[in-house]
Amino acid sequence: MTAIQFYDPCGPLEVSVPFAPRLDTLDGKRIGFVTNEQWQAFRTLPLLRDLIKADFPTAEVLPIDAYPQGNVLIPTEDTARKVKESGVDAVVVGNAA
Amino acid sequence: MKNAVSGLGLAPDAAMVTFPIDMFLPGSDLSAIPARKREFYNGLLKWQSEFKVGAPEAASLLSVEGRSYEDALQKANNLLITNLWGDGLPVWPATEDRVEWILRGSALPRTHRLGKFPPRGGITTVETCAIALAMAGGRPEYLPVLIAAVEACLEPEALFDQLQATSGGPFPVVIVNGPIAKDIRLNSGFGCLGPDPQRPAGASIGRALRLMQQNVGGALPGIGTMAIYGAMRYTNAVFAEDEASLPEGWEPHGTRRHGFPRGSNSVSVYFASGVTNIRRRGAKKETPEEDVTQGLYRMADFMRTPNFAALAGWEKGTPGAMMISPVVAGMMAKLGWTPKKLQEFLWEHSKIPMETIKRAGGLAWIEIDPSPAARESIKLDPWPIAQKPENLIFIVAGGDHPTHSQWLQAHSPAVVGKPIRVPETFDRLLAESDRDLGCGSDECRI
Repeated sequence: MTAIQFYDPCGPLEVSVPFAPRLDTLDGKRIGFVTNEQWQAFRTLPLLRDLIKADFPTAEVLPIDAYPQGNVLIPTEDTARKVKESGVDAVVVGNAA
Repeated sequence: MKNAVSGLGLAPDAAMVTFPIDMFLPGSDLSAIPARKREFYNGLLKWQSEFKVGAPEAASLLSVEGRSYEDALQKANNLLITNLWGDGLPVWPATEDRVEWILRGSALPRTHRLGKFPPRGGITTVETCAIALAMAGGRPEYLPVLIAAVEACLEPEALFDQLQATSGGPFPVVIVNGPIAKDIRLNSGFGCLGPDPQRPAGASIGRALRLMQQNVGGALPGIGTMAIYGAMRYTNAVFAEDEASLPEGWEPHGTRRHGFPRGSNSVSVYFASGVTNIRRRGAKKETPEEDVTQGLYRMADFMRTPNFAALAGWEKGTPGAMMISPVVAGMMAKLGWTPKKLQEFLWEHSKIPMETIKRAGGLAWIEIDPSPAARESIKLDPWPIAQKPENLIFIVAGGDHPTHSQWLQAHSPAVVGKPIRVPETFDRLLAESDRDLGCGSDECRI
């Protein structure tokens, strides 16, 4: 038998940033939306917002336009600062395609 | 999306809810959202990453066995395809010996870290490049060009994370200046966009870069890259400018665009989304002036299309590269044309009337462009396809024949230049290349 050994070409991943801890409940929590305004986000995110409000009546769900919107503005430090300052417990980000 | 998340240093299994593309189209049925609302809630409440924060491991080795070397080689290729690491053509398994051989072409240590290859964020070292070049059938003397090209791609200004993932499928174009082009048999003449067995370097270098885009960067079709049609290129585009044929007073591209000293080795990397042949030459009794001017108008007409491929590079990048053959460059120079004048002519005559842009729905694309300068350009009528003429890349390359030019339209927020570093033993590598491939000088070519 002849053997060939060769390298995995992928380059390893480095996980350096942990995800935010999950919430125990959405009841009574403050929830925001960050939208890139692409891929029907103007329809999908308001629908999801309404669903959360209906299923978790004590949750405070911020308006879709609470933060800067669009691909140009959402990756900026200014948007990140505004999200932090708003004191939200969780954020939903959309849409990608 | 997983690629994009891991490229930020997060684990690649972010909480997300995915739907078929239909839901993201105008007028779509949104009933799947209430039907799957629990998945959104679980993402906020119960989801946990399967990955832990920590340092990466070194590249691992895989092993296959066969009744003979050929059988083992077949099995290695099968495994590479099974693992989604190939490109459909046969590859050389990156064995330890082969990678060691390729690494002789590096002026940098094997473990030198070049960055994270976006969007997946695979750690990219000199060794990572050598592994890809080994798989692509490359040679040690090609490695310096590949490393410089990767360094260019990884510059933040290139926005490579977006280009890798976008549906338009832009592919890297690597333009090489300096004597290294001839040294390593990189084509600047007939067939410079390949393939060419007499000057094969561009194929291996470009294929290695493509394999890295897929394997290290995660650009798997339909999964890691939404490139709808793909770039139709297994080898990207890697070629050299024909510096020896530049008319007197015409500086090489690397000098004009990036300020590299003439005679130094460098790459200039941008991203193209298509290649268009332009029948440049006149067909009857044109004067030299008519032949040149009519050809330039034909080029400008191709460039003057409201498809907005160029919008990404409107301010700092490029609308594309116009390739002019050496004999045409000589004709133009005799009539007083310079690269600057040519850029100005093409820029001026490729402007698009705003009415045409409106008719094609282009205003919205300009309005949402990330560049404030590009958004501001909506006031211009006619609309220039770049902020300034110098953004246009103008290259003297191709066969010494006057009939055609080539327009490589861009989707490129930047044009990134990098110097090429060669090891002290480079001359020995070139001698070994002559030994292995036969004489590589112009005198020996067919």
